[in-house]
Amino acid sequence: MPRSAFQRLLRVIGISVVVVILGFLALPAVVVTLAAFNDKAILAFPPEQWSWRWFVKAVEYEDFRAGFRNGATVTLWASSTALVIGAAFAFAIDRYQFRFKRLIETILISPLVIPHFTVGLGFLILAAELGLARGFAVVIVCHIVLVLPFVLRSVYVSLRNLDPRYELAAASLGATPGRVLLTVTLPLLAPGLASGWLFAAILSFNEFTASLFVTSQRTQTLPVAMYNYVREYADPSMAALSVMYIVVTALLLTFANAFLGLGKVMNVERSH
Amino acid sequence: MSNAAIKGASAERTDFAVTLDGVTKRFGGVIAIHEAHLTIRRGELMTLLGPSGCGKTTVLNLVAGFFMPDSGEITIDGAPVSRLPTYKREIGMMFQNYALFPHMTVEANIGYGLRMRGVNRAEIHKRISEVLSLVKLRGLEDRRPRQLSGGQQQRVAIARALIINPKVLLLDEPFSALDKNLRGSMQVEVKEIQRKLGVTTIFVTHDQSEALSLSDRITVMSDGRILQVGTPEEIYRCPAQRFVASFIGDANVLKGKIERVEGATALVAIGDARIPVPVTGLNKPSPNAAVDLFVRCERLAITTAKPIACTGRISALIYQGGYIDIHIETPAAAEGKVLLRLPGHGSITKWQVGETVGMAIDGTDAVAFAASC
Amino acid sequence: MTAAVSQSRPFVYLEPSPVVTQQPFLRVFVTPATLCAFGFAVAMIAVLQYSVRAYIPGSLEAGGFTLSNFVALLKPLYARVFLDTVWICFLTAFFTLIVGYPLAYALVFTPNVAIKSFVLVTVVTPLFLGEVVRTYSWIIVLGNNGFINSTLLKLGLIDSPVQFMFTKFGVVTALVHVTLPVMVIMLAAALSHIDRDYQKAAESLGAGPIRTFITVTLPLSAPGIVAGVTTAFAWTFSAFATPQLIGGGRVNMVSNLVYQLGFASFNFPFAAALCVAGLALTFITLWLFRWIARPLERMGPH
Repeated sequence: MPRSAFQRLLRVIGISVVVVILGFLALPAVVVTLAAFNDKAILAFPPEQWSWRWFVKAVEYEDFRAGFRNGATVTLWASSTALVIGAAFAFAIDRYQFRFKRLIETILISPLVIPHFTVGLGFLILAAELGLARGFAVVIVCHIVLVLPFVLRSVYVSLRNLDPRYELAAASLGATPGRVLLTVTLPLLAPGLASGWLFAAILSFNEFTASLFVTSQRTQTLPVAMYNYVREYADPSMAALSVMYIVVTALLLTFANAFLGLGKVMNVERSH
Repeated sequence: MSNAAIKGASAERTDFAVTLDGVTKRFGGVIAIHEAHLTIRRGELMTLLGPSGCGKTTVLNLVAGFFMPDSGEITIDGAPVSRLPTYKREIGMMFQNYALFPHMTVEANIGYGLRMRGVNRAEIHKRISEVLSLVKLRGLEDRRPRQLSGGQQQRVAIARALIINPKVLLLDEPFSALDKNLRGSMQVEVKEIQRKLGVTTIFVTHDQSEALSLSDRITVMSDGRILQVGTPEEIYRCPAQRFVASFIGDANVLKGKIERVEGATALVAIGDARIPVPVTGLNKPSPNAAVDLFVRCERLAITTAKPIACTGRISALIYQGGYIDIHIETPAAAEGKVLLRLPGHGSITKWQVGETVGMAIDGTDAVAFAASC
Repeated sequence: MTAAVSQSRPFVYLEPSPVVTQQPFLRVFVTPATLCAFGFAVAMIAVLQYSVRAYIPGSLEAGGFTLSNFVALLKPLYARVFLDTVWICFLTAFFTLIVGYPLAYALVFTPNVAIKSFVLVTVVTPLFLGEVVRTYSWIIVLGNNGFINSTLLKLGLIDSPVQFMFTKFGVVTALVHVTLPVMVIMLAAALSHIDRDYQKAAESLGAGPIRTFITVTLPLSAPGIVAGVTTAFAWTFSAFATPQLIGGGRVNMVSNLVYQLGFASFNFPFAAALCVAGLALTFITLWLFRWIARPLERMGPH
């Protein structure tokens, strides 16, 4: 039938277009992977000889190691603190009424629309004005502010999906508000909190622009270290590092998708 | 007030497990409960009955402590609790969807209330065994709620609420999620447990047949007001208001006129029939006033003998197993049709669809209210 | 005390759904967040404050009140950077929409769960890689010794490498790649909320797949398109690493300018003025865009 042949043609075209676009998306990752295995020290493509040496160099390079340590420190502190602060505030937004509620919420969500270079400059100026050394504290506070909107949204969505009757049942059985929180609310929110934390940690670890402003030589995070490296050297160790990044991130996300349902978190599941 | 009077009043009070005294509750601009007065006796099963939005669930939530009343006072066992938070009220509650904690086993769910009260583990274990026997659910202690059937979940929910020996048991439409067969047997079981333990129970439902079969007393509500409080029989046979009459049971509404008034009874004329009704439902009973006569389905009969109240055309004969529903179109009915219910199977062959028949009214339990225009 | 509820009303009511009506922990839960908000607000005020103060060369301190920073913005050198930035943002948003829509469509309407997951992970992963890794990968693709040039040379299609690095084209391409995940996610969210029944109704009334798409799916996804383009624009405006590394100083966006001025010459006041002007520009452009798009938004399902 002519109609179904037309539909089949459409399908073929559609699939080809999508494949091409996916190719476009994956292209840099593929290319950088191949370049990372190049034996020669130039940033060239395709590699003539294959070797692991750049991976070894990347892992041993002190700036990268320091960057990793610093980044891990900042990320752990920032995302954990942001989780606690954000979860508590999301709870308050959902359940309580208080003055300036909307105002505080708006301020905390605004980093989503304010460019990171503005945030970074702001904290840099603030630190200078207050005479604070550019140590970890400033970086961590900056990261907390940047990551908080995501934590807030993630926890708020989880709270909205939580049937309030569980907590009412607990109260009716004699649990004080504190014990309701500990024995019922938090355990049931745990998946949402975990994914909120994971999201925050990944974003914080990879954050570059604001970090460039607020970190110093001593506290530079991994992305900043990578940036400094690229500006000076052109060898494939960055490529090797990028490959490791890509592999770890893809694994984490596949894991997150399997357990937490990435589609739901991103709000792209079909509703029927 | 003198000491004796105070003592007398409070002695009277503590006979009642729960009282509402002039309780009003507003949500935004909407009045959900309007100056409610209600007393619930110790050990009774009181049902709050009404359509959705009537305020029955709000009353339940007020007694539970999820809301505070805007005015008025609520007492449990004589003590005022309006300002007391939920977790101090010693209530047991069962929710519509049971609200069993999904992250806990059956045992942990049931024992939750005792853990909150600091009861020691051995004692908790013993009492869980006892209550599981009571609800006939032994052997499932280690399961999670999602592994249980609807009926099993409900038993766990009841067990969880009862194990703490609550002063009041609150049931929020607990059977609406069950299918019909299960519903019937669960209703019987819950009633048995309630009677055995003698626990004061407040039961919310919109299903009037459920209310009639389970309750010791029923409170009929509509639009935030309490319309009538009484035993199931009282509510069914002597509805005080039009709404109650039409909400409970299947009632037919026939148009008639008052012939005369004799003391507490008015005589309503419909066709050739004369039906005595109590005057309590009538506004200003005077001869020739138009009234609506409420007649239960079982009180109408098809007849050829006088006096004939009205005539109509049979529009449907529906076999219901133990009885037959006969739908008759008649101009005498306020809605243009009436429903007769006849026991037995024989009647299905007696008449045909399309036949015109005459009807007689058995005046027992008939009530009348002023005609609505 | 910002978070206080007055003592005379100990019970506060929320929506008419049963909630435990006291508010325990209110202070504990709200204070830390309030402090964060306060700190952030102070930082942003610092930027605002510095933008209207004079620059003292060689010092981190700023001078007295002046509007000279904003006046300096009007110089052609800087004005051009603003215009370039806006233009790059538009181009990026536009192409990201064109490229992202088919992907979002496939993501939402494919029945095969494995393919859905694969597409989702492929789309979302770049989002989490961070600007530097993504931009760096593009350097290898776009460079004179990179993937494109090597392939074209090998195939004999060109004689000498085509310059992609340090051009607007290169920057926009990389930016599209960076913005694609966000656009796809927002479009997919909108598409997934379109009731399948609308398409079925169109088909039952005789519309072929293309006409169904044009007359039903596309209009109903309009809110998603508006949201996606708006977000893409705002995100691109904030981009830094990509124009910095691929633009290499020859293609400058506002972000790069702020960095150069703030870091290289420590001219905080001017950098701050750039930030403020940039924010104003973004908000005005977005507001204009939403105003234009309002009739489109009304077409969406509700």
